[in-house]
Amino acid sequence: MPRTDPTDNGGLFVGRRPGTAPVKYRALPKRGTRRRQRVDNGASVAILALMVFVCLLFFGPIPVAWLWIASRVQYGLDSVSLAIFVGFFGMLMTLLLGLRVLRRLDLTWILVRRAAGVDQREGVMTRVFAYSAVLAAILFSGWLLLFAGLGPTLAPGQ
Amino acid sequence: MGFLDYYKQFEGMPEEEVNARLREQAAERKRKALSVVDPIDLSITTWPEYPHPTVVNAITYTARRGLHRYLDRSAGELRSELAHRHGLPEERVVVGDGAAQLLSSAAYALMDQPLDELVTPWPSYGLYPVMAHRPRAHAVPVPGYGADAVLSAVNEHTRVVALCSPNDPTGEIVPAAELRRMLEALPERVVVLLDEALADFSDAQPLDAALELLDDFPRLLCFRSFSKAWGLAGLRVGYALGGPDSEPLLEQLAPELGVNELAQAGALEALRSTGHLVERRVERVRGERARLLMELRSRERVVVTPSQANFVWLEAAGIDGAELARRLDRAGVRVASGGSLGDPKRIRAAVHDGAATDRFLRALDGALA
Repeated sequence: MPRTDPTDNGGLFVGRRPGTAPVKYRALPKRGTRRRQRVDNGASVAILALMVFVCLLFFGPIPVAWLWIASRVQYGLDSVSLAIFVGFFGMLMTLLLGLRVLRRLDLTWILVRRAAGVDQREGVMTRVFAYSAVLAAILFSGWLLLFAGLGPTLAPGQ
Repeated sequence: MGFLDYYKQFEGMPEEEVNARLREQAAERKRKALSVVDPIDLSITTWPEYPHPTVVNAITYTARRGLHRYLDRSAGELRSELAHRHGLPEERVVVGDGAAQLLSSAAYALMDQPLDELVTPWPSYGLYPVMAHRPRAHAVPVPGYGADAVLSAVNEHTRVVALCSPNDPTGEIVPAAELRRMLEALPERVVVLLDEALADFSDAQPLDAALELLDDFPRLLCFRSFSKAWGLAGLRVGYALGGPDSEPLLEQLAPELGVNELAQAGALEALRSTGHLVERRVERVRGERARLLMELRSRERVVVTPSQANFVWLEAAGIDGAELARRLDRAGVRVASGGSLGDPKRIRAAVHDGAATDRFLRALDGALA
């Protein structure tokens, strides 16, 4: 959280709204050619897509994968408790790992955007995560309504 | 530049690093600001500090009360306070626009013949020769100082003797006994104008020693000022004290329409409430002056005269006053070159406080090295 307390800013009161300060570089960056900036712009779009993909993994593939692994544990060891523990613990760890990957991708995306000539000050991870959740909810709803169907609940016995 | 290095250069500095840099820059600015030492001005004999807030408040109060009318043209309250202070009747005190105005008016009033002469020791206050010219009289500067020097120049045309005690720029005084001897020796027609603007700083005799002669010698007029020890030069207030039967002459010295009302208010408040501050200030100057004189005498190349004023008058062997003043000025210490004061070989340096004395001595040592 940016601070405006003069004691935290070399005795200078920062009158600017927190979080709106321009980026300060150690040395002025040397930008690449326009061609390279276009390439960087494309790379930033690719990284953004990768971030969306990683986020989508949180809302389907990762839980499903760990449910499958848990079922294998239950089948192999004949222990429901252990299977539940492995499933939840593994999923939690994978989610944390995914968030770390997402954060790295976000930082990389910021640098690539700057290299592309954009005054990029903040990351996009939070928004990607939120939009991905909405997208996952829509996809899940579509799948549930159109493919899996609500039949057994709405019309028992069919 | 490597592939990863190319992108790493776009990393912004973390907030802590930015703040650390800002602190460093602020500290550097502060260090630079503190390293700048303002020149110190020892070339003038007025007091270097601001007037006491009480005096400023009194002036402000008077200004707000109304400046649209004449209140007290004869400065009655201030004269009364001064008369009480010096133990004289109020009629024998006159207040003017500084001691210089009163001195000039006295010379103008007394010298009414073209051949009249004003005798003054020299070097002395630069106003004395000038105030002889206004009534078309003649100034007679006499080399040296003291009663004998003055008496040697007195003739049948002498009408006025202007005597500065302590003398600006030499710092010498005429002791009361010597003054009495001079007054006894002077012809009846000669009036002595004793300028005691710097008398507060003297510790050689009581402050009012010369005033005790007023009753015996009606031809003596003493002039005092609020511009020096009282630190109110901007007010332009001074006063003159005379002996018995001097009232008609004193009336002629007063400004026609009286002294500025704000100046009266400031001087009156200073007398009533800042006397103890002036005493402390004077004590400080006396102590520093003694130390400075002792330090100067310990330097082989320096010749300094004993001073009873708030300055010292000195010369350095092998270097004239203007050059010494220039060298001191380069070291950030401004002094008055003796050329304009009557002796080109010397300089006049004011005495302020311990820090100013130390700085002056350091600069002097550097200038003489």
